[in-house]
Amino acid sequence: MIEIKNLTKVYKDRAVLDIESLVVEKGECIVLTGHNGSGKSTFLKILAGTLKESSGEIKKEGKVCYLPQQCIPFNKSVRRNITFCLDGSRKSKNALCDVILKAFGLNHLEHKNAKTLSGGECQRLCLARVLSKKADIVLLDEPTSAADKESRAIINRLISDYRKQTGCTVIMTSHTDEIPDFDKVKIIKLCDGKITEIREESNA
Amino acid sequence: MDREVLYIIGVTLRMSFFSTVISCLIGMPLGVLITSTKFKGKRTVKKIINTFMGLPPVVAGLIVYLLFTRYGIFGSLGLLFTVRVMVIAQCLLITPVVISLTSGVCSVNSKNLLETSKGLNFSKWRILCLFLSQNRASLLSVVLTAFGRSIAEVGAVSIVGGNIQWKTRVMTTAIMLETNKGNFSFALALGIILLIISFAVNILASLLVREGDEE
Repeated sequence: MIEIKNLTKVYKDRAVLDIESLVVEKGECIVLTGHNGSGKSTFLKILAGTLKESSGEIKKEGKVCYLPQQCIPFNKSVRRNITFCLDGSRKSKNALCDVILKAFGLNHLEHKNAKTLSGGECQRLCLARVLSKKADIVLLDEPTSAADKESRAIINRLISDYRKQTGCTVIMTSHTDEIPDFDKVKIIKLCDGKITEIREESNA
Repeated sequence: MDREVLYIIGVTLRMSFFSTVISCLIGMPLGVLITSTKFKGKRTVKKIINTFMGLPPVVAGLIVYLLFTRYGIFGSLGLLFTVRVMVIAQCLLITPVVISLTSGVCSVNSKNLLETSKGLNFSKWRILCLFLSQNRASLLSVVLTAFGRSIAEVGAVSIVGGNIQWKTRVMTTAIMLETNKGNFSFALALGIILLIISFAVNILASLLVREGDEE
């Protein structure tokens, strides 16, 4: 669960985030929408701990993993990109990596240097790295921005399947009007750092 | 080839190898740390390191000499006029260069890489390994620069080493001695050998860099 009270972030006397209160229940799927500069990425960065808030209180339960908007593939093979993120013995890491590569459709690329992947393939790899950590709270900043329509559908399906399997909380941003086709989604619209709309959509 | 020349080449390579390795082992992690960590006084630390980059070799030699002379702090170790103290003097010169160059190399995309690493809950050790492996081609050139600086150094090593025949004489101090003696052909021969060694190391490094890029 995540509890936020009076969260603000100020850059050079300009408030880029101002959230009075927000509660995210365990297992919920949140999609943050809003125009560029509305504070979506700032909000995720503060939740992830990579950016310090100016004031406010945040309570989080569980392990948090974060996929930044500009995610960098490591200068290693696709396989090594994933095993580098895993813990355990070499045998267990390789076994888990095989499963992840198959699930994300990356097995045919396993020995390729990740820096030579296309935008969509790279995003799938970066997502695979984050989801391999089995976090309780997964923060995804525009996980489909570099993907074409087909890849976006694949990535959204992977996120949905992962959520169903693990029951984790997912908070993702989207600056397009395209909302992922998850079974139950809470859409939070941000405008100039403030929450202007919260609605639920169900595709059950 | 003359036995003495071979000995001089051996001492030169041994000294350069160890001073390069030690400087890189100390300097590279510090360079990554400076790039990836926010701390108070970061700008001042960077300015101090940049100042030490310009430390005159003879001054470095003098500092180390005073530390290791019989009445110095480390005088009891009896290291003066040995290859070991020459390595120490070279490390004092080369480590700031390695720190600064590593910091420069790693600062490219460092913000995104750091965000990616923190997002994956990497430990500090894993972040260090990642930064180093991410820029391995460029860091190889840092190693080459360190080696080049070491093999070409004459001021510090002649002060702390004493240019002793069959002990601490290296190629640069031998060239200086033979030139002063008027023995130009011998000095020139040593100079050519030094150039060949530097060239060979450069070729090897560029082959390794190309292999790394192709991977």
